[in-house]
Amino acid sequence: MIVVNTETIPGYRILEVKGIVQGNTVRAKHAGRDIAAGLKNLVGGELTGYTELLTESRRQAMERMLAQAQQLSANAVVNVRFTTSSVTPGASEMYAYGTAVIVAPEM
Amino acid sequence: MDIEIIVFLGGFLLLMSLGYFVGGVRERSHLRELEEREHAMSGILLSQRKNFPDAIPGRLPAKMLVAEVVISSDYLKTFLGGLRNIFGGELRSFRSLIDRARREAILRIQEQAQKEGYDAVCNIRLDTVDIGGADSRRKSQVIMSAMIVSGTAYQTQSR
Repeated sequence: MIVVNTETIPGYRILEVKGIVQGNTVRAKHAGRDIAAGLKNLVGGELTGYTELLTESRRQAMERMLAQAQQLSANAVVNVRFTTSSVTPGASEMYAYGTAVIVAPEM
Repeated sequence: MDIEIIVFLGGFLLLMSLGYFVGGVRERSHLRELEEREHAMSGILLSQRKNFPDAIPGRLPAKMLVAEVVISSDYLKTFLGGLRNIFGGELRSFRSLIDRARREAILRIQEQAQKEGYDAVCNIRLDTVDIGGADSRRKSQVIMSAMIVSGTAYQTQSR
């Protein structure tokens, strides 16, 4: 499966547009990470716990999006975007969406 | 009574100096590191266009890369930011914080691209992320800058 965030793929031609596919996940950060982040907030630096949290939720949202694309028997997803929204204090949603297409290599 | 004031002031000064010294050292070393890595990654062409400048199709299909970074503020920055909130104006301490997060995230994309054999990334998109949900009810909120950056890696003629 080719995934890009542009509208076209170099060397490939879009034969058919299958429609929008999407995946989301809502994740809460846990108390242990909050404590570590609170301490880091005094001295500065990267909050690796939160970075990992973001990576995990982005992967899950993308996996769900790709599963939908597979169901539509697409072989590529173009124009992928991410957005987040807050749900309750302490949790937020990661949302990935794109357009499932069927592509073929250009001759 | 006096002891209480001394303990309070002492704690405050300790946290301020922690922010000033440890936070300052960490920020400067991060900035130095960013500069070095940016120099090392100057071979990876970055662009914000959607149409793959100089692409050679066929060898390796284009691939979307994503990177996330969360960088925390320190006590001094937060305090200065609080002061600025009273008088208004530019919050310089937070500007450098967000700038570091952006540069770090873009570098991670470039490094990932190099590792996978690409030499250019186009359609770079930078977004700020909401992690904990808008947590305005709680006073003790962690001040941080969270970024998610995505781009599409591809190969160019120069390789």
